[in-house]
Amino acid sequence: MNALSVRDLTKIYPQFTLDKISFCAKEGHIVGLIGRNGAGKSTVIKGILRLISASGEIKIFGRDASRHEYEVKQIMGYAGGGFRYYPFKTLFRVRKAYARFYPLWDQIKYENYLLRFGISEKKRVRDLSEGMKVKFSVALALSHGAKLLIMDEPTSGLDPLSREEFCDILLNLVREERITVLFSTHITSDLLRTADDIVYLSRGKMLANAPLRELLSSYSLAHFSSADQALKTKVIGLKPVKDGFEGLIPRKEPVPDDVSVTDADIDSIMIHLERENCRAESD
Amino acid sequence: MLNLIKKEISLCLHPTSFIFLAFAGLAFVPNYPYEVIFFFSGLSVYFCCVTSRENGDLPFTCALPVTKRDVPIARILTAAGLQCILLLLTGIAGALKEAVFPPELLFNGAGLSANVALVGVGGILLGVFNAIFFPLYYKKPEKIGIPFVIAAASVFVLIGASVTLRWTHPLFLNILNGGNSEHTGAKLLALAVGLCGYIALTALACRLSAKRFENVDL
Repeated sequence: MNALSVRDLTKIYPQFTLDKISFCAKEGHIVGLIGRNGAGKSTVIKGILRLISASGEIKIFGRDASRHEYEVKQIMGYAGGGFRYYPFKTLFRVRKAYARFYPLWDQIKYENYLLRFGISEKKRVRDLSEGMKVKFSVALALSHGAKLLIMDEPTSGLDPLSREEFCDILLNLVREERITVLFSTHITSDLLRTADDIVYLSRGKMLANAPLRELLSSYSLAHFSSADQALKTKVIGLKPVKDGFEGLIPRKEPVPDDVSVTDADIDSIMIHLERENCRAESD
Repeated sequence: MLNLIKKEISLCLHPTSFIFLAFAGLAFVPNYPYEVIFFFSGLSVYFCCVTSRENGDLPFTCALPVTKRDVPIARILTAAGLQCILLLLTGIAGALKEAVFPPELLFNGAGLSANVALVGVGGILLGVFNAIFFPLYYKKPEKIGIPFVIAAASVFVLIGASVTLRWTHPLFLNILNGGNSEHTGAKLLALAVGLCGYIALTALACRLSAKRFENVDL
């Protein structure tokens, strides 16, 4: 079953258009939403949460999000890049107001997260470091029995150990409670560690929507000594590098013998798909 | 809705919301335009909305399990709760003044006397503020100054009209003015009309604000 289904999500701003984004998140999967700054990741998340008025259809566990807004938000947890709200209030006060909205709020679970993250509820939000704010936000999102977690760059601002810890928590949640996670990130190592599927956005358009392994196995990274050599192949996002040119080649395409090929990692796939998209748009 | 109102009270209310309630005590000041008491309620609403913007309250609230249209309604109802307390306190202050002070001190050389008719006028003033400020604010919640200036200016025009009528129109001059013990029926009618106006205008504010806020991008 799909925990989240997004169909033709469209939002038009004067300077930016989110163009008919469609993807699904299967129950128990972790979906990574990736793309460069301004690609539309946060707009997609805001559209799902109905923070913006966008057109398109959002379904959470089969229920239409616009018609059943209250019910679907009960089973969703949201964590932004950091807790940027109510800087002068104590965490205790914020949690008290927040928990009231969730009948399935688990105070023991919440306290365990705070203990694990080393956060005191007596502190004010402004007294937390950026990393602590992310952790507080995550602790709130994870403590009300959510079946679908939506996180906007949850690992930004976290140190490597905390990121590792965060990834472990996600994996445990998926393994033990079959929770579905959609999270946007720039940190590709977190994706490789946790994500099952990837949704890749560029300039408001969806460039890829596939299982991570399938995406990684779809392309090879080809190194060319000259641009002429590259033009003989179906290269994607060709760009000059220190000692020649580099681009992606679909795995099913034949590669000339004189071209060296390596496995494409997620960073190189992003870079070259992005470049190809820019080129196509400027044409 | 109840949870949203509780959240408004615990996270969004500015301390002046409670301080300005004490301004009902201005009813004891001799020769003062008591209609101004109700303006301070609008000022506390403005402070709450500024605090809400600085705290990122609207995006936080809209991500909670609530419908987007309930968010403005909860804030308006919270403000309305405080406004009703202000109306009640003003009415009580006026009654106390009448019970304690000698009749010559009840004369107001500025606006209407502190009586139940004044509470009715206050209801209209607060209702007008709500009906103007909230729909304009919830159209663009990041812009608070302009809706407040428009709403406050409208309230001051009505305060001016009320003070002028108190000196020029026989209904205000002879019947609605003075203590509650004189022309009690007419004053109670003015109170009822004012409260009905307040309810209707605040309901209009809720309706328009909810509709406009649904189209706002946070």
